[in-house]
Parts: sequence; C-alpha cells; structure tokens
Amino acid sequence: MTRWYEDIIIDEVIDLGAHTFSQEEIIRFGRLYDPQYFHVDPDLAQHSHFGGIIASGWHTVCVGHGKMVDALYAEEQRLRALGKEPGVSGPSPGVNSMEFKVPVRAGDTVRYTLCVTGKRESNSLPGWGLLFNTIEARNQRDELVYRAELVGFSKLRDYKMPIKLRLLLALTRVPVLGKAIRAGT
Amino acid sequence: MTNPVTRDRRHFEDLVAGEVVDLGRTKVTRQMILTFAREFDPLPFHLDEEAAKASLLGGLASSGWQTGALSLRMLVDSFLGKLASAGGLGFKNLKWKNPVMVDDTIGGTVTVVELRRSHHHPEWGVVTMDFDVRNQKNQPVLTMRLANLVELRDPTAPLPEAAQ
Repeated sequence: MTRWYEDIIIDEVIDLGAHTFSQEEIIRFGRLYDPQYFHVDPDLAQHSHFGGIIASGWHTVCVGHGKMVDALYAEEQRLRALGKEPGVSGPSPGVNSMEFKVPVRAGDTVRYTLCVTGKRESNSLPGWGLLFNTIEARNQRDELVYRAELVGFSKLRDYKMPIKLRLLLALTRVPVLGKAIRAGT
Repeated sequence: MTNPVTRDRRHFEDLVAGEVVDLGRTKVTRQMILTFAREFDPLPFHLDEEAAKASLLGGLASSGWQTGALSLRMLVDSFLGKLASAGGLGFKNLKWKNPVMVDDTIGGTVTVVELRRSHHHPEWGVVTMDFDVRNQKNQPVLTMRLANLVELRDPTAPLPEAAQ
C-alpha cells in the first residue's frame, strides 16, 4: 500500500486487521466527538432502540483509518526489507459514501479490509495518482458494520515532469519573477 | 413505549427543511491534532512539523477524520443533541477542501435539506443535512451530506407526501 501508484493492484482485498472495542473507549470517543446518550451513558442508552451503548459510527471509521495507516507502515517496512524504495501516499480529497449498517457494541471485534477498485492519474496534481478505495468493516458474526468509498492520493514513480512545467518551477525560484508568476496563477 | 430520554426533545414532526443551524466555533490546537493523530491517523504530516512542511499540506494539519469528528461534535452540541435522534445512517460526498492548520478556528452552518419518513420503520424519519464548515478566513474546509434517524412523536401517522 505504501506502494508506488504503478504497483497498486486493482481489486486485491487487503486485510487491515481487527480491533476489539471496549466500553471505556466507546465512551471516551463519544464524549469528545459524538456525545449522544447512546454513545456515552450506559444507563440512558437502555431506553434507545439499540437497548444499550453503541460506538459512534465515526469512532468505528477512525479506528479503521488507523488500521489502514498501520498497514501502510507495515508495507513500507516490508518493501525496505526487500531492498526496495517504498512509494508515497498523500492526503485524501474526500469520501464518496459512508454507510453505517450494524452498530458496534462493547466487546465486538471489527475486522477491516481495503480494496482498490480503480485508479487514474490526477489532473490537478501532476506526479500524483488517484486511488478509488473501498473499505469494509465486519464484526465477529461477519455482519457488515460499514462500507466506505474513498479517494486517496498516491505518488507516481515513473513521473517525468514536462519541460514547460520544470521551466516554470525553476523560474518561480527567481525572487521577483517567482512573485509575478505566483500572482498570475 | 415513549422514550423518557427523548420525550421532551424535538421530534421528526418538529423539523422543517431549510432550517439553518449555526455550528458555533472550535479552535483546533496543536495538542488536539497530535492527540488524535497518535491514536487514529499517525501519518508524518499530522505528527511532525518538518514532515508536514514538506508534504502536500504545507504544515502541521489536523487529520481530515478529526475535522469531520469535530464538525459532528459541533452538530451534536447545537442541534442533534436536542433532537430525538435515533442514530446516524452515514454520509455522502465528504470533501476536505482545505487543511485545518494549528490554531485555526473552524465553524459554519448545517442546513436541513430533506425530511422523509422511513418506509421500513414507521417510528422514524430520516433528516438529511448539508455541512458547510469553514476556517477563520472563511475558506471552506469541509462539506458533506449527513443522514440521521429521528424518532416520530406519532408513529401511527400515515406516511404523508407533505413530510418531504
């Protein structure tokens, strides 16, 4: 995954690992970011249709993101161990859809998978490619907890900057000219 | 079967499309960024000043998921926590428009764009809301369309077209 854009395999399902949610961490996240009664108060949560406390959907998503980042580092280590130079992943421009399906309760173990379903070179960021990712989270009963369609940036290994762009970049380093160029773009 | 927790809160019937909610303001500190990033998004450009300067973000910035979670927190404080909310369904078209840098203050509005009854669950309605979150320079930082379930006060009411 910290692979170069060119090395990303389409439709390969990557196991990101699993996480068991404790009541303590569900409440801690809820108090900070989603303090609705069914995320923070075990007694009041009994009155909700959930019948007890559940994790904020955003909590389950943030944990899944952390798992993906861990997997990026693991892949980087693996590539370095093979004597290869790892690729570079960049920030994400956004999420097309996020569907919360089954709630996560204290003690549930959620397993996350990532699948890159498509990729193309970026029009707005030369040297970078866009990855179209699907992340799925499933609980210990294999019920779908959430499905997300996200977009991510990945750096191209074989990118050669066009001569016009290289010239422009060089000119921006000349103090007065650079200011004029930046003002004009 | 009345839920004692939500009994006195606004129910689905009390909502109108077009309502605009002021989210208030949240200052995003270095400590908040680092604490969140260590647990959920330990990428160099959320943890390390030098790495962040060299990245596409150009400086230490919050995780996009933190910006989203803080936007949700502002919605809970200003709106959702006062509703007979029955949980979130998810969101669509989340866009991180500009990075949130150390000590930026974010705020903005949420607009109720659609109200519809659930066909499978007559006791609930779905409220759809558009987020427009901006920084102190009024630059957009996050937009998304969020869907949340809200309890009906009277689930026996027929499914009206007027609820749209």
